Amino acid sequence: MALAVVSDVSYAYPDGADALRGVSLEIEPGEVIALLGPSGSGKSTLLRALAGLVPHFHGGRFAGRVEIAGLDTRRARPAELAGIVASVFQDPEDQVVMAIVENEVAFGLENLGTKPAEIAPRAAAALDQVGVAHLAGRRTAELSGGELQRVCLASALALEPHLLLLDEPTSQLDEDGATAFLAAVADAECAVVLSEHRIERALALATRVLYMEDGQALVDAPVAEARRWLAANRPRYSAGAEETLCLSNTRSGDEPVVEVDAVSFGYGAGRQVLDGVSLIVRRGEIVALEGANGSGKTTLAKLAAGLLEPTAGAVRRIGRATYLSQDPGRYLVKETVLDEVALGVDGDRTRARDALDRFGLGFAAARHPRDLSSGERERLGLAAVSVSEPDLLVLDEPTRGVDPDRMAEIGALLVAQAEAGQAVLIATHDRSLPAHRRIRVGVEVTDAF
Amino acid sequence: MSPGAGTALLAAAAAVALLTNRLWAVVLLTAVLLIVCLRAPASRRWPYLIGALTSGLGVLLISPFLWSSGAGTLLWEGPTIPVVGTIDISTDEIQQAAVNGFRLAAVGLAFAAYALLLDHDRLVGSARFARRSALAVALATRLVPTLERDAIGLRETVRGRGVEISGARGYAKLLSPLVAGSLERASCLAEAMEARGFGQPGATRQPRPRWTRIDRVVVLAAAVVVGGAVLWR
Repeated sequence: MALAVVSDVSYAYPDGADALRGVSLEIEPGEVIALLGPSGSGKSTLLRALAGLVPHFHGGRFAGRVEIAGLDTRRARPAELAGIVASVFQDPEDQVVMAIVENEVAFGLENLGTKPAEIAPRAAAALDQVGVAHLAGRRTAELSGGELQRVCLASALALEPHLLLLDEPTSQLDEDGATAFLAAVADAECAVVLSEHRIERALALATRVLYMEDGQALVDAPVAEARRWLAANRPRYSAGAEETLCLSNTRSGDEPVVEVDAVSFGYGAGRQVLDGVSLIVRRGEIVALEGANGSGKTTLAKLAAGLLEPTAGAVRRIGRATYLSQDPGRYLVKETVLDEVALGVDGDRTRARDALDRFGLGFAAARHPRDLSSGERERLGLAAVSVSEPDLLVLDEPTRGVDPDRMAEIGALLVAQAEAGQAVLIATHDRSLPAHRRIRVGVEVTDAF
Repeated sequence: MSPGAGTALLAAAAAVALLTNRLWAVVLLTAVLLIVCLRAPASRRWPYLIGALTSGLGVLLISPFLWSSGAGTLLWEGPTIPVVGTIDISTDEIQQAAVNGFRLAAVGLAFAAYALLLDHDRLVGSARFARRSALAVALATRLVPTLERDAIGLRETVRGRGVEISGARGYAKLLSPLVAGSLERASCLAEAMEARGFGQPGATRQPRPRWTRIDRVVVLAAAVVVGGAVLWR
């Protein structure tokens, strides 16, 4: 008997558009399903429907039927499904309830009425299972994103669910954090539905693929068959799409837009993040900053953009620089999408409207920025820093949590900006973003080519 | 000391600060609470300390201008402003402003000590009634550093677009997005909590350490201190 049965489910959120359209599938115990598709294709909504959060938490119009272990989600509330289904969401910071790690893992067990004497051992076992037993007594506020997301996974696995739902759980993590997280998922002894933009990793883990677009399941097939379909029909989702992309035409003769000269920097009384680092970015050039977490990529990017002042050395810039921070969708300051973009050009709505059109967001000009999807917010952030046509465009992890289609769009956009004469500096883990040079940031800065 | 007893002690300190009119008492209380707060890690304590001390200082500096006691020695007499009346400063007004300023600082520091030093998880766990309310308070307390981080992120976002923020009005414009962001976080958290079975009947709790004799003595002392402050203002 199938663990979960989704029968002809359609759903629309209270504010309008259809998020799911006639989706049907069955999930067998122990299966690992890679849930693929562009942003806004209905992946998150399907996961929420499997957890009962749609329609109970979100409201809206729901048609069809979802049964989890024989329970109809129209009647069973999410809290009633919690022992059978467990979810891990995109941003670990938005799902942590307790202040201490072991209490966080125990929270769900307490809610489910687990015998008090069993709670601590089960929490400890779950932390051990995902390789973070050493964090048990730590404060959740002091953990890195990767550590915290693994604690969230432990919290989910502690419930001993039959079905584990993972909604882009690595989108906010760096490379090492994502690898450790997915390794822990591989050891989970339950059915898993994994929505993930790092396609190759998801496919390596999965036994089956569900590809969605416009709220519909286009492909539901074993991995090998799905790979063939993706290669033929959605090549950006197939193997090889994540390869390093190097631009060949070097810009060594062009004018430097920013020169970072023997710069050092440390936060407060802490250790030096950068020590005697030098870097030049020329007009028309895309330079990617690479390196492990804490290596100083973001700090170097902020110094180049003028958001930080070096403690030693000098930064020389020609013209105007703008900077797009990590997770720009969280930091939105205006009431409409148009005003959000116009902020960078002294309220010039004509230029803002042009920028929105360029980024495919013209339709959303009058909407509140927080009503946009996560992918649309990312593009809004890019539009907001590009609108003033700066001489230097500095981007911090612009493809984090972005689907392959949007990734390709961002890549094309950066090339266009560079060809128009802008210098582009990107702090990124993502080697599929095009760049003329890749620089590895550490105590010393070295060319990665 | 258990977090329950610690909370009782800090609540008593805040109550005493509000009840007493003696300047030396609120100064002493403020100093003790400041020393307690300094035990927290430097990276976490500064927003709380700045918040508590600047609001106390604000009351101390501004309030003498805003009311007239009619008592004490008149030190300065300024212009007469419609509605507000004559602006003046007397020794009595300064004395009262100092009491109110230290009072506010002491209450702020008591909250800071609660937020920085107590184990809120154990506090929630030890709540024998109104556990949801205790959890809501614990979550709201944790919101302070999150808000601080979001405020820094918002400021950086605006500066990153080439717009400089200056003055109180500039920063005030960030309040609305800050609130909107925290509401969005709250909604995500509520969803995650529901998905983890929060609100189900029959919830249990991990066994918690029993109260020690010290805890009982501390709670009793807190009650005595508040009683004393009521009787001997």
